[in-house]
Amino acid sequence: MIPLQSETPLPDTIANLLGLSGLLGTIVGALLGAFLIANIVLLQTAVAGPWAKRKITAAFTDRISVNRVGPFGLLTIVVDAVRLLSKELVIPDGVDRPAYDLGPLFIPFSAILGFAVIPMGNGIHLADPETGLVFAFAAASMASLGIMMMGYGSDNKYSLLGGLRAIAANIAYEIPLVVTGASVVLFTGTLRMSEIVAVQAEPLLTVAGVTIPQWFAFVNPFAFVLFVIANLAEVGRNPFDIPEAPTEIVAGYQTEYSSVYFVLIYLGEFVHIFLGGAIAATLFLGGPAGPILPGFVWFLIKIWGFYFFTQWARSAIPRLRVDQFLDIGWKGMLVLSFANLVLTAIIVGVIA
Amino acid sequence: MSAWIAIGALALMAVGIPIGMMQTSAMIRPSVPEQGKSATYESGEIPTGSARVQFNIQYYMVALLFLVFDVETVLIFPWTVIYRSALSQGASLSAVLLPMFVFIGVLVIGLVWAWRNGAVKWVKSPLANRRKTERQDA
Repeated sequence: MIPLQSETPLPDTIANLLGLSGLLGTIVGALLGAFLIANIVLLQTAVAGPWAKRKITAAFTDRISVNRVGPFGLLTIVVDAVRLLSKELVIPDGVDRPAYDLGPLFIPFSAILGFAVIPMGNGIHLADPETGLVFAFAAASMASLGIMMMGYGSDNKYSLLGGLRAIAANIAYEIPLVVTGASVVLFTGTLRMSEIVAVQAEPLLTVAGVTIPQWFAFVNPFAFVLFVIANLAEVGRNPFDIPEAPTEIVAGYQTEYSSVYFVLIYLGEFVHIFLGGAIAATLFLGGPAGPILPGFVWFLIKIWGFYFFTQWARSAIPRLRVDQFLDIGWKGMLVLSFANLVLTAIIVGVIA
Repeated sequence: MSAWIAIGALALMAVGIPIGMMQTSAMIRPSVPEQGKSATYESGEIPTGSARVQFNIQYYMVALLFLVFDVETVLIFPWTVIYRSALSQGASLSAVLLPMFVFIGVLVIGLVWAWRNGAVKWVKSPLANRRKTERQDA
C-alpha cells in the first residue's frame, strides 16, 4: 500500500519554508506554487517556440537558422518576444467581439491549468486531487472551446473551416486518448497522479542486475503507441495538423489574429504539446522517475523528448487529408483503443 | 479541498499571465488604422459575403457520435478504478468483466451501425464532384 501523502505537496513545502500555517499558509503557498509552476511551463515554451522549433526544423532541412543574437542565437527568444508584442493589433471588420477576444485567452489557460496535477519530481507537484488524471484530460480538452470561439468569431471562411476541422479532430481523437488512459487505470486502480507514478516505481523484471521498473510503456507498449498517436492528433501536430494546414486554409482558426493574440495562441499550442508530453510521461514513462539524475531533470527530458518527437513528425511525415484523418480516428484508433481496453482488462483479470 | 485551492490559484495565474501580456502589448504597440487594413483576409481578394454560412452536416453527425462515446468513457472510468480491488476482494472474473463487455459491445454495435450508414464517412459536396467531372471532361 502506498503511504498517504499531502494533497498539495508544493504549496505545503512553500508554506513550511515561510513559516505560515492554516488558511493563510494554504492560500499563500498555493499562489506562490502556482506562480512557480506557470513560470516553469512558460520557460519551456519560450525556449521551444521561438528558438528550439526553428533550430530543429533547420537541422532537418540542412540549414543553420537563428544564430545572430546571443550564443546559438538563444537571445532570439527575447528579441522575438519584444517584436511580437509590439506588433500592431489589426481587428478585422465584422468580428464577434467577446468571442474573438476570449478565444486566444482560452488556449493558454486550458493548457497551463492541466499542469496543476502533473507530478514533476522533487516535490514540484502543485495539487494531487483524487481525480487527477480526469482533471488533466478535462483541462486539456477545454481548448476546443477557445478554438470554436476563434473560428466562428473571426467571420473569416478560412477561420470557420479551421475551427470546425479542429473540433472534428479533437472529438475524434479524444475518445481513443481517454480510453487508452483508462487502460492504464486498470493496472493502477486509482486516478491520483502521485499513486500512478508510485505504482510504476515497482520492479517489472531484473536483467543482468539492472532492475527495469514497471513503466506502463514497457508493460503495455501497444497502449503507449496508441496514446502517443492520439496525443499527436489532440495537440494538432503533423501528420494531423489539418486544422491549420497552411497550404489549404491559410492558418485555420488563427488567420485573423495578429500581435499579442497571435502570441497567446502560439504559446497555448506549445504549452499544449508539453502538457500532452507530461500526461504521456506520467501515465506511461514513470513520471519523473529515472536513474542518477534528479526527478525534475528526468521530467524535463521526457517532455522535451515528446516535443522532439512532434517536431520530427512535423519534418518527416506528410499531412493527412481531412477524410483520411477522420477515417483513422473513428475507424482505426477508436476500435483499436477499445480492443486494447478489453484485452488489458482480460489480462489484468487473469493475472490478478 | 486544499488541492482545489491550489488548482484555483493556477487558474488565476493562467488567466492573469495572458492578460498581463495583453496589457504590455497594448502599451508598446502602435495603432495605425488604415482603410482596407481591417478587411477580412481572403487571399488578397475583396472578401465576398460573411462567414456565417451553412456548413457541412458531417460535423454535426460526428459531434453526435462523440457525445455518445464521451458519456461512455465517463462511465468506464469508475469501473477501471475499482476493477482490481473488486477482483482481489473475491469477485469472480465474469462478474467483473461481463457487464462491461455488454456495455462496450452495445456501443460498438452502435459504431458499426453509424459506420455502415456513412456517418463517419467524409461527405463531399455535390458541387465539388460536379466540378471534378467538368475538369476531367475538359
